[in-house]
Amino acid sequence: MKQGYKKVKRMTVFMRLNHWVVAICMVAAIITGLYIGHPYYQTLIADPAVDKYVMAWNRWIHFIAAIIFDVSSIVIAYLYFFSRFEKPYKKLIPNAKNVKEFFDVLINLITLNRVKRFDSSHSDSFNTVFFFIFHLMLLWMLLTGLQMYVHGLGSGLSSIGEWWPAMLHLATDWTIWVTGGTYMDVRMSHHETMYYIIAWIMFHIYYQVWRTIFWQEGDIAIVFGGSKYVKESESKD
Amino acid sequence: MDRRDALAKMFGAKGVRVNTNRGDEYYDSLRKKIEKRLSELRNSPAASKVDIEKVLDAEGLSRRDFMKWASATCAMLMLPASFTPLVAEAAELINRVPIVWLELQDCAGNTEAILRSDSPTIDELILETINFEFNETLMVAAGHQAEEHLDEVIEKFAGNFICVVEGSIPVGAGKEWCTIGAKGETFEEHLLRVAQNSAAVVAVGTCATFGGVPAASPNPTGAVGVQDIIKGKPIINIPACPANPANITGTILHYVMTGQVPELDYLNRPKFAFGYRIHDNCERRAHFDAGEFVEEWGDEGAENNFCLYKVGCKGPMTFNNCSIVRYNSGTNWPIGAGHGCIGCSEPDFWDKYAYERPMADANIKAPTGGVEKTVDEFGLGLLTAAGIGIAIHAFASAAAGKKEEV
Repeated sequence: MKQGYKKVKRMTVFMRLNHWVVAICMVAAIITGLYIGHPYYQTLIADPAVDKYVMAWNRWIHFIAAIIFDVSSIVIAYLYFFSRFEKPYKKLIPNAKNVKEFFDVLINLITLNRVKRFDSSHSDSFNTVFFFIFHLMLLWMLLTGLQMYVHGLGSGLSSIGEWWPAMLHLATDWTIWVTGGTYMDVRMSHHETMYYIIAWIMFHIYYQVWRTIFWQEGDIAIVFGGSKYVKESESKD
Repeated sequence: MDRRDALAKMFGAKGVRVNTNRGDEYYDSLRKKIEKRLSELRNSPAASKVDIEKVLDAEGLSRRDFMKWASATCAMLMLPASFTPLVAEAAELINRVPIVWLELQDCAGNTEAILRSDSPTIDELILETINFEFNETLMVAAGHQAEEHLDEVIEKFAGNFICVVEGSIPVGAGKEWCTIGAKGETFEEHLLRVAQNSAAVVAVGTCATFGGVPAASPNPTGAVGVQDIIKGKPIINIPACPANPANITGTILHYVMTGQVPELDYLNRPKFAFGYRIHDNCERRAHFDAGEFVEEWGDEGAENNFCLYKVGCKGPMTFNNCSIVRYNSGTNWPIGAGHGCIGCSEPDFWDKYAYERPMADANIKAPTGGVEKTVDEFGLGLLTAAGIGIAIHAFASAAAGKKEEV
């Protein structure tokens, strides 16, 4: 370890695993989702009949990615409040301390690291809000996605029982009215939100790399090894 | 009730499932109800002189053809096969129930779909025997004479007739352009006057149900559907452009038979007709799953009946029974004829469904109401903006250098 630095643990093994599972699912969902919205490559007509299941595979991968997302989201929502490591909700409450920290981090970003008036050893309010937006978008994708999914269960039956489509209707029918009143609006909203999520990912990757380069505290290592390094002189701990 | 039952009840939300088997108890009581209703109807005077036997005779159709139709209709209405004689009897008695058919802002396509077929189905013949007390498109009377007749009908059959509505109702700035009759009633006034005195209102076709084509953007007349205006009356919506005669007959027959509206979905459409998705009963579905699509009109895929999703089929988001019942005596339907579904039985179909492109390529209105863009164009614009923003920040950061070096 470099002199004058100390190691701070920032992500548990589970958090890191979850991060990469979600990242892989995200890529899979985008690739297959774009195909479902507008099939952009053709099935080879000369393929043997047994291989011809291209749309079905795409949908299968998309749904599996989605269900992993859903489970992960439920766990993350739980951890927001009950994590023994760090409870993110504490950073979301708009109290004076969090609001100040949020703007301090934002100022740090737009002044190109000329001003840095906060402790970067722990997860900051700005990043937590940023992730919260991501989680809200994921939740929206979950609800609109399941609404489209339940259209395929028009008979009201499913392999796991009648409660499943009934519950999906109860939980997601409101998305039709919120988006504009037709099934098509739900689809369009689902598709559009994908672009917001891609834009979110672009900024997320850029910002983590930027922090690593400019803060010089090894932030990018958090998601791999779970820890970053902080100058002992700056740390308040 | 144990916990499992309680959970099952909680999640067995009524109205979600298309229930095709409700158990003996339900059907026994329904049968008694229908028998009572039909005997009442039989004893009431026939309002129309046309009866189905004569019409069938004139068309050279036998009693056997009629009974075949009755069993098919019985199945369509999701009733047990033992109800077939009741369906046949109800069809014979359909002329006991007076109907007022209003023609509002539309192309009369639903009337045409019923009237203009050269080999009419029994559905269409049944509609001929229906006691149309008033029908703006078909009746001989005009002007004051027609008005007087309508007043008479409303008085004589108050609370007993079915009001069938075809066409949307303009309620916006242009509503004065659409008036009817010698007194210059607006469509809205006309509909309200008739519907208030009816037993039930049946909105036929997408214009009457959701506003349809007249309500498409920019909706110059402020067109709306019947359910947006009429409150406090049972309303049955039979959308599609045109509505399938089988569904119109089925709904009216259901009302004649039971005196009740059939089970409806969240858009007030009968579940027997709109409970299933086109996509799930489509003959081209296997090509969808295989990823075999018509890429452009008349290509190899089109010749081989491939899936029409990429040329804009909206079967995956449209609920209707045309993939099962089809049109024109079951001859064919749009997808069978090689054009994708345009979602004509869904609200806002003209703006949101009826384009020959997949959803991702559809033009959508910007929130500002300005230039139309596709979702993908909007998305790529967003990503470009995000990319430029990041690039500017990155270059500025690189140029400014790290803090320590300054």
